[in-house]
Amino acid sequence: MTDINAQNSGRVPGGFAADIATDLSSGRAVHLAEVYALDAVDDAERAAIEHYLAAAPQAERDSFAERVRQARETLAGTFTAEEEPPAGLLDRIMASLPAQPSGQAPATGLVGGPADSAGPAAAANPAGEPSGLPVADELGAARRRRDERRRPRGMRNWLIGVAAAAVIALGGVGVGAYVANQNDPVNQVLLASDVREATVEVSGGGRAILAVSPSKDAAVVKMDGVPAPPAGKVYQMWLIPKDGSDPQSQGLMDAEALSKPAVVRGIRSAAALGITVEPAGGSPKPTTPPVAAAPLGA
Amino acid sequence: MTRVQADRRPARPASGGHANGAANPDPIPGTRTLCLKVMDTPNAPNPGATAPPGTPVELNGRLSNLLGQIAQGDQAAFAEFYELTSRRVFGMARRVLIDTELSEDTTQEVFLQVWQNASKFNREAGSALAWLMTISHRRAVDKVRSSQSSSEREAKYGASSQEIDHDSVSDEVGSRLEAEAVVRCLGTLTETQRESVRLAYYGGLTYREVAAKLNAAVPTIKSRIRDGLIRLKTCLGVS
Repeated sequence: MTDINAQNSGRVPGGFAADIATDLSSGRAVHLAEVYALDAVDDAERAAIEHYLAAAPQAERDSFAERVRQARETLAGTFTAEEEPPAGLLDRIMASLPAQPSGQAPATGLVGGPADSAGPAAAANPAGEPSGLPVADELGAARRRRDERRRPRGMRNWLIGVAAAAVIALGGVGVGAYVANQNDPVNQVLLASDVREATVEVSGGGRAILAVSPSKDAAVVKMDGVPAPPAGKVYQMWLIPKDGSDPQSQGLMDAEALSKPAVVRGIRSAAALGITVEPAGGSPKPTTPPVAAAPLGA
Repeated sequence: MTRVQADRRPARPASGGHANGAANPDPIPGTRTLCLKVMDTPNAPNPGATAPPGTPVELNGRLSNLLGQIAQGDQAAFAEFYELTSRRVFGMARRVLIDTELSEDTTQEVFLQVWQNASKFNREAGSALAWLMTISHRRAVDKVRSSQSSSEREAKYGASSQEIDHDSVSDEVGSRLEAEAVVRCLGTLTETQRESVRLAYYGGLTYREVAAKLNAAVPTIKSRIRDGLIRLKTCLGVS
């Protein structure tokens, strides 16, 4: 490439550096709002931005959020491609709807795969729409076969591993010691009226301390006595969705980040939180069995 | 039908690449009046009424209400929400993923997420459509990045980008006016800004991948994306 020098010089008049970490450390976080809203960052960079914002002053967080909001409205109004989805997709979706939306899910079947979905859907349909259990089974089975074909080998085992994880013990070992100020997102979780704390062992040593708040739809994760990841590796956190879809990356923890609490959002739709060891930069999907896993179900 | 546009043409820059006629002076007032007489006028003689059908404002109002019902477990509301938005979700997924099966899976996952997270939607914090498309784009991008290498994506994007300038839009007047504003506003971006934003949105590329594809410096691409989106926002009057 001919412009390697330009890249290495780091700065252009617009003020961005070549990498997100430098942008963040040089006070340009708010200017990343558009790139962030466009999903034009990778998972590790998204995590880095969120991690930075979690500790940023309220005013900076507010301006970032406002610019992200405007960028999202702009994108939704600009890219308006339409295409008719396949016939029958709605029926298939309706047949796979979990029994109850948003946060009211019962504690049973925490890590139910797609297989678990058909039954409750019928129960939630007392009005007697012809949702047709056999159809649901058939379509669900087809989808499962496809999913399994696509999933890396071991994904099913991975999920089973999470399901089997030891139930976390409630205890008073505080994440609270790391509190900085009241408006901090970490604090908002820790100070929530419904927060509960729990610890889960990390294989390899140490433990992860969780503070979970359903009302804030978030959890704070703090590693305690966990050894730094091996060279070239990072810890990666995942939320395992209740709907059986692929785990969603919640960010990376390198040796440095290990000492700080991390906020994980969107736990309402998640059955469990898992932590794996991944190559530096993280993976799109877990590639190793979890070193720690905690059910999040209500 | 498209001739209705004539009376808004002065507002549109001549750079649209349309026929040379765009450079003509304003239409003669007489002709315009004549035109409007023989066809439906877009300015309905009912200005005080609710937002016209088909406009984003009207649609977002309906979608917000439906999300409220979905949060209560209302399956009929969910089905209606799907009918109103599935073409958008699937259309975007198809452009990002190309593959029909993957696009279908993504669409299914998005609507499951709608069902489960409807109670999280807060209409003070943004429109329902932006909320939905944010979920959808993130899903599509996650899926494409985990299933295809960036070179595959670039190649596919190249093959499909032809049609992107001609996104199908509904025939409703409200949408058509909106679509014209988008075309006009996209015209206020530089070519490189437009290309960078599109590659990221429909190509699912990160800013680094966009930089590699366009053989440009990484910081430059971040600036283009930022400046392009801000210019677009200003032109569209997003507040």
